[in-house]
Amino acid sequence: MKSLVALIKREYIEHKGAFVLAPGIILALMTVILVGSIVTHRFEMAYEVGAPSALKFFEFGFLAVSALWFVYLMATLFFYYADAFNADRRNNAMLFWKSMPVTDFKILGSKMLAGMTIFPAIIFAASLVTGLLVYFTTMAAVLFFPRINLPGLDSFAVSAWSIASFDLVYLVLALLWYAPFFAWVGALSAVVGRWSIPLAFLIPALVGLAENVIFNLGGPRGGYVLNYLRERFHFGDGDDHEMTWFFTDGPIDTGRMFGNLLASIDWSQLIGGLIVAALLVYAASEYRRRNVAT
Amino acid sequence: MNDPAQTSAAPIVSARGLKKRFGRTEILHGLDFDIPAGRIYGLVGHNGAGKTTTLNALLGLTSYEGTVRVLGKDPFEKRARLMENVAFISDVASLPRFLRVRELFALLTNIHPNFDQAKARSFLDGTDVKMEAKIKNLSKGMIAQLHLAVVMAIDAKLLVLDEPTLGLDITYRKRFYRRLLEDYMTEERTLIITTHQVDEIEFMLSDIMFIRDGDLILHMQMETVSGKFAQVLVRPDNVAAASALNPIYSETRFGQTAMVFEGVDRDRLAQFGEVSTPTLSDLFVALMQRGAK
Repeated sequence: MKSLVALIKREYIEHKGAFVLAPGIILALMTVILVGSIVTHRFEMAYEVGAPSALKFFEFGFLAVSALWFVYLMATLFFYYADAFNADRRNNAMLFWKSMPVTDFKILGSKMLAGMTIFPAIIFAASLVTGLLVYFTTMAAVLFFPRINLPGLDSFAVSAWSIASFDLVYLVLALLWYAPFFAWVGALSAVVGRWSIPLAFLIPALVGLAENVIFNLGGPRGGYVLNYLRERFHFGDGDDHEMTWFFTDGPIDTGRMFGNLLASIDWSQLIGGLIVAALLVYAASEYRRRNVAT
Repeated sequence: MNDPAQTSAAPIVSARGLKKRFGRTEILHGLDFDIPAGRIYGLVGHNGAGKTTTLNALLGLTSYEGTVRVLGKDPFEKRARLMENVAFISDVASLPRFLRVRELFALLTNIHPNFDQAKARSFLDGTDVKMEAKIKNLSKGMIAQLHLAVVMAIDAKLLVLDEPTLGLDITYRKRFYRRLLEDYMTEERTLIITTHQVDEIEFMLSDIMFIRDGDLILHMQMETVSGKFAQVLVRPDNVAAASALNPIYSETRFGQTAMVFEGVDRDRLAQFGEVSTPTLSDLFVALMQRGAK
């Protein structure tokens, strides 16, 4: 366990540029933009939209930036896995890590786990900090536009807690849902390096094409493979509450959002996906065990 | 219960019928050898002879045919466990370049149960390697010093060095081997080393193995080399007579003919000229050319 934690820490040190420095720069830029907009009185946008209350403005802003951080995390994780499984070979450090008393499965497992734990945790922390910035932005907006209704701090705290909780659950479930896709690009990376980026899409596309052109199995339009992948790529389909809520006076109903999220998940697919992810990491570790770089 | 393979009498390394193929090409043709504990082995061969492939097999880095046991374990199946008691340097540039020296030591402390950080730090005392330095900013010589400090701080039974000083200047090379001998080697530890600069390590070797085209052509203790091989600087008028004794190698240098003999009595050779024990490099050249394809 101690060595696994150390290996995850190694991943953190090696990839902190994408998961710590870049988010730090983004947060710094956001802060500068916020301060700049306060100094230059540029809050026309919020006023024209006509947010019914400061709390709604905050909730929507927090949800929006959380969504943007989620997109950032998913994109960065994709490139992380496309690189990390092959990084020791590319860095000419394979033989050093092979001289350590840890199995190839543990090394690749640590890379998989780093992408599922510490890096998302950092980005989640960044989204919380951004939520704080949204709060300050809201306060600044109230300062400039006193007509905006300002509820008490406790209302903000409850909203922030609700949204943060929902974001966390959504993030965890999404990571588990997409784990086989990340493992797929990682396993490809162990074999072909950065060519895994196009191949991660090209191989399924070719399989789907082969099904349609060569085998012509009938079935749904587009074939079984592509339809399955399209379904499997989809995550977290709730109702339209997320959008309609913004145009009503009611507070955000995260309870309903939780319910929709949990109901939309195919749990057998999620568990099966995790098993596939574990098998892909194992296959990649066996490849790594048998193909030493010299 | 004691593992019989790890008692003092048992060899540290044992190979029987060790073969390795890459596709249809057989690189190693069934090597048989034992390496006892407490020895310093030199594995010498020309480029492509199979040295690194042999070491990779011993270290569990590649699959193979035949039977190999290192410290009683199958290295390919049990590499991770084996590395608790085996250290190796296969490439001086293989340290993770993104780490600082301090970070490397901290990670190793948690990853390797036999790594002693205090020892590693003490080995770096007096060098230009600073704890806060990033490895990618160190010179090649400093990286070699750091890597040596790392492996010397691991309490291992077997140390394998594959061309550990490649690309280093003579000063660093000599310092490297001196530290290895003075600060690391004990009677319980075994060292296997390959290098092209055989003359530089000759003084420290206890045993020698020559490998040619995937075959082991010589495996003997250094102290027995002089009993089996002799080199004679043959006087010009004795060349024909000396040649009649079938030298394994003959070369004319600056008007003098040097011949290497195997299994010929030294008293008999003395009549042809000055007899000495061939250096490892001379013996290597002689044996590589004998029966070469």
